[in-house]
Amino acid sequence: MAKDVLSKDNIKLNVPLTGKEEAIRFTGEILVNGGYVDAGYIDKMFEREEMASTYMGNFLAIPHGTEDAKKNVFETGISVVTVPEGIDFGGGNLAKIFIGIAGKGNEHLEILSNIAIVCSEEENIEKILNARSEEEILDLFSEVG
Amino acid sequence: MADASVRARIQRFGSYLSGMIMPNIGAFIAWGLITALFIPDGWFPNETLGSLVGPMITYLLPLLIGFTGGRLVYDFRGGVLGAIATMGVIVGAEIPMFLGAMIMGPLAGFAMKVIDGWFQHRIRVGFEMLYNNFSAGILGAFLAGIAVFFVGPIVNALTNTLADGVEVIVNLGLLPLASILIEPAKILFLNNAINHGILSPLGVEQAADAGKSILFLLETNPGPGLGVLLAFSVFGKGVSKASAPGAAIIQFLGGIHEIYFPYVLMKPILLLAVIAGGMSGVFTFTVFNAGLPATPSPGSIFALLALTPQGNYLGVISGVVVAALVSFLVASVVLKTSKAEEEDLAAAAGRMEEMKGKKSDATGYLTPKPAKEVVGMTSGDRVEEDNTQPVNAAPVKNATDIHKVVFACDAGMGSSAMGASLLRNKFKKENIDIPVSNTAINQLPEDADIVVTHKDLTDRAKAKLPNAEHISVENFMNSPEYDKLARRLKNE
Repeated sequence: MAKDVLSKDNIKLNVPLTGKEEAIRFTGEILVNGGYVDAGYIDKMFEREEMASTYMGNFLAIPHGTEDAKKNVFETGISVVTVPEGIDFGGGNLAKIFIGIAGKGNEHLEILSNIAIVCSEEENIEKILNARSEEEILDLFSEVG
Repeated sequence: MADASVRARIQRFGSYLSGMIMPNIGAFIAWGLITALFIPDGWFPNETLGSLVGPMITYLLPLLIGFTGGRLVYDFRGGVLGAIATMGVIVGAEIPMFLGAMIMGPLAGFAMKVIDGWFQHRIRVGFEMLYNNFSAGILGAFLAGIAVFFVGPIVNALTNTLADGVEVIVNLGLLPLASILIEPAKILFLNNAINHGILSPLGVEQAADAGKSILFLLETNPGPGLGVLLAFSVFGKGVSKASAPGAAIIQFLGGIHEIYFPYVLMKPILLLAVIAGGMSGVFTFTVFNAGLPATPSPGSIFALLALTPQGNYLGVISGVVVAALVSFLVASVVLKTSKAEEEDLAAAAGRMEEMKGKKSDATGYLTPKPAKEVVGMTSGDRVEEDNTQPVNAAPVKNATDIHKVVFACDAGMGSSAMGASLLRNKFKKENIDIPVSNTAINQLPEDADIVVTHKDLTDRAKAKLPNAEHISVENFMNSPEYDKLARRLKNE
């Protein structure tokens, strides 16, 4: 049976992470444990980060693999991690929300597009960081469209 | 001025035709080789391998042409539509549908483009995939269905007209003039009706009386096709030049005439060359009173010579040689003059691009692609500086010239998708009617007018698509560039 691209299990709130590397690894491990990708995908996420930062702006970073990492992906999945204290993501950017992406086909684009629109409003960033439960995040991201 | 623009338009149409055929020459050659080698009359008859011949020429080649034609008009999406619609003409006609594919392919791509123009921006976020797949599916089914009904009667009408014309000419005894109809008919695969309906029955009659008939030589003479291919070998350029010698061997020695059809189809004025070659060949046959006792099949020089009766060798060989020579000369003149013109045009198009900053469809074929692509920037290459200003060496385009904005990132799975949704959202609010899509840098479509990338990836995108306008952003989520762009496009 096909898994949900984003489920409650893929969301971790208020995680006490301190470094960029740790954050990427944590975001990736959710995808590994969920059975979306193999362990090699995390290396590819670091590789992609070397190539160009996945920091998107508005305290949001979207760590994901390189193009050739698509072979490490079993199923399309998205993970969400919030770190309200923020993590230095390089180049003076402070990231607080991490969206891990493993895309095989295009199934994730719909939800990603929602995430983009939600996160482009700064007040929504506040809402995400203040969320008390995973459901709140799910609701926020599925509300648009 | 008007003269130049008409010429440019004709040139552009010409490069369009070759754009449909040229990328598929390899498939023609593959088919030609298999046919020459493995058909029952071939060099190594083999039933199993020979079974490839029919499906390849009926389905593979027209579908490739149809796909390529659609793709030229509207990228991959247009290509898919082109292939679907081409299937309609394939099934509706009983002959290989090269010309039908060359018409239906671009037409279907264009239809999709028009329909997307009406609907795509009205589709709600999240429903794009659904819309894309179903609109293409419905339109494709419709076009293929229509084509099935229309193509049959058209082909029949055309065939009957040509056959009637040839019959009149043969009865009047003006044999060389028959080439005017036979040579174009060959290229459209309409020659079977002429052969089996008129030439063969009459030829068999004559051969029963005289032991030979010139009618068997009219269509099977490999000379005209050889001339065209040799002209390409000497005066052609690029793929057509490089592939022509091999094609000539398959055509002249293997007798697979179809292999030269694509070369004529991509430059229809070359019909003059094959007609002139055919006419002079037939005329020479008449002068020498040459003839064959039966139809040589396939039309290879070996088959011709094997059937030639004693005392006719000089006539048959002369006819073939004269036909090849005349066709070669005419084709050479055509290729040489059009080559000079194309070079002019390439230069002119280059200047035009500089001024307008807009890449036209035609110039895609006239200017060579950039050979070098910057791949895999490592952290060492990365300049650590907070340069938030967009580095735009590429031209800034007029709002009216912008029809497609594409966001690109390395994999096309993350940042570009998010950026594209935001800009699309912004355009929607401002009522701007320009489609925004996202892709991997390696798959950037040729017709993108503006390419938006993260500042670290802009160099790679520029290497891939040097003629597009490039916008470099640092903050995908909230870039001032989005508002700037929206304002610029709104003021048009």
